Amino acid sequence: MSESEIKEKQGFFIRFSKSNSISVFRNLCSKILKKSRCAFLDAEYKPLKRGSECNHLSTGKYLARIKSSPSREYMIFKCSCNKICLSFPVMQGSSVYGHVLFAHLNKEPDKRVIDAVRICMDLALKEFQKEQELNKLYETIRPRAIALSTIHTIHRLLSSTLDMDELIERIARLTLQVMRSRHCSIMLLDESKRHLIPKAVIDMDKEIPKTDPQYKKIKLGVRQEGGVAKNGETIFLRNSVCVPLVEEDIIGVISARDKINGAPFDRFELEILITLAEQAVIAIKNAQMYEEQERMAYGSIKTLAALLDAKSPNTFTHSDQFVKMVLAIAEEMKLPREDIANLHYAALLPDTGKFSIPDEILRKPGSLSNREYDIIKKQHLESLKIIEHLEFLKPAMPIIRHHHERYDGTGYPDGLKGDKIPAGARVMSVANAFEAMVSASPYKGKKISIPQAIKEIENNKGRQFDPEVVYAFIGVTKKPEFKNILGASA
Amino acid sequence: MKNIKSLFKNEAARKILLFFNENPNCIDTVKGISLWINGDINAIQKALNQLVKEGVITSHQTASTTAYAYTNNKEIVKKIEKYIKIFKGL
Repeated sequence: MSESEIKEKQGFFIRFSKSNSISVFRNLCSKILKKSRCAFLDAEYKPLKRGSECNHLSTGKYLARIKSSPSREYMIFKCSCNKICLSFPVMQGSSVYGHVLFAHLNKEPDKRVIDAVRICMDLALKEFQKEQELNKLYETIRPRAIALSTIHTIHRLLSSTLDMDELIERIARLTLQVMRSRHCSIMLLDESKRHLIPKAVIDMDKEIPKTDPQYKKIKLGVRQEGGVAKNGETIFLRNSVCVPLVEEDIIGVISARDKINGAPFDRFELEILITLAEQAVIAIKNAQMYEEQERMAYGSIKTLAALLDAKSPNTFTHSDQFVKMVLAIAEEMKLPREDIANLHYAALLPDTGKFSIPDEILRKPGSLSNREYDIIKKQHLESLKIIEHLEFLKPAMPIIRHHHERYDGTGYPDGLKGDKIPAGARVMSVANAFEAMVSASPYKGKKISIPQAIKEIENNKGRQFDPEVVYAFIGVTKKPEFKNILGASA
Repeated sequence: MKNIKSLFKNEAARKILLFFNENPNCIDTVKGISLWINGDINAIQKALNQLVKEGVITSHQTASTTAYAYTNNKEIVKKIEKYIKIFKGL
């Protein structure tokens, strides 16, 4: 038998002697074999622990065997203090792991008692073996279950954003977290597939600005990351791990470096990084598809706006400043990203509703008659039918439809009041009024100065405009970026 | 960070720290962590909030999910490891 096998046997027997099942067994036996002392002897009959058994046993002076069962299921000894000892081998298969011994018995136990104790011990051993198997299963499965749960949580965290910059940053931070590393970088291949562009470089100890050399693009095949991107093979070193991001082709690489405790990366961590990379690829691809879809939607809207503009310049569309102002107010109000995107669509085509309004009414200076106002209200809804079939514009439709509503309910087309007016429409209403007041246009009324326009909007909060939007608007006008929004008209 | 000893006085916080010390690569929600350490979800949430405040646990938040992970701060991790050894009598 090899040394390791002997050690394994000894270990098993020591654990058995300390197990819960043996405690139950001892309690039970203390009732059957009254006043006996229980001891554990190894395969060579040497006691595991001195002092708890008959004193003679601890010195080995007990070997006066009286008898043993034919199949050595038990043995009876007499120790030198003339007391009876009963021992049972603890066996697995044909291997003896040790012996359980009851010392200081007053008389030789009869066969029925011996059988009862032996059965109890067999049960204790079986119970202990079950316990061991369960422990082994627990130790093997638990870390994997925790890792699986971690991957599931990462999936949830990654699938909750379609913003590419936010996503890449999140992947990098999560990598740093699960790999317990000090450094992580994510690089994506450029369109030519010849260079890797670092998208996120995170270091535990310092903020790395985008101007840092670590953000310089690298050629395919150059450095560790370039090699992984070229060959598609993982690099697994003591202090660094680099894994390709593979969809159908390689789209980039993700790498982690230097564990915080200085220990080397292990295979388990490599497996986690590979799984994380698989999740990351799906999330990156989704974000790329979303970006592409957004680009197509903006392209379609701009084409539509250009067509409308060709019919009557500056009638259906607004200036760039208007779009910027709408978005700035929405961001100041911290509207959700999706709402801001829809607001952006709406801001590119705010006055599609004017499409079928006669030019003489649209361009009429001064106030409108009741009849003319009724025509505007009716035609506003009619004109919106032009864009109602564009699926991607559906969420923006209520904003376009209702941006002429007034907060006090006196606007058109539906006379909605307060919070019943979509938030985006309330934002666009303020930006629309501001643009009308500060721009020079023959049919938009008299041009006034920017401070006057701001004052006018503030004066109308709660009546024409939502006070919350007005506060956000004032906030925007106080920011240094306000000049950029106004552009040439500043 | 507060004295580690005082953090260990709270049973839920102690269980969380022992769990993350054993499973430092883990990122999980409060529900997941409660399951791994067999604790009451409300008590675990309260303890996690406290540990995030103390900088021992990092939270990763999105609109729909908040996940928790062990700090990457080497010094804090070392201090906790040292205390756990004393706590377990090793």
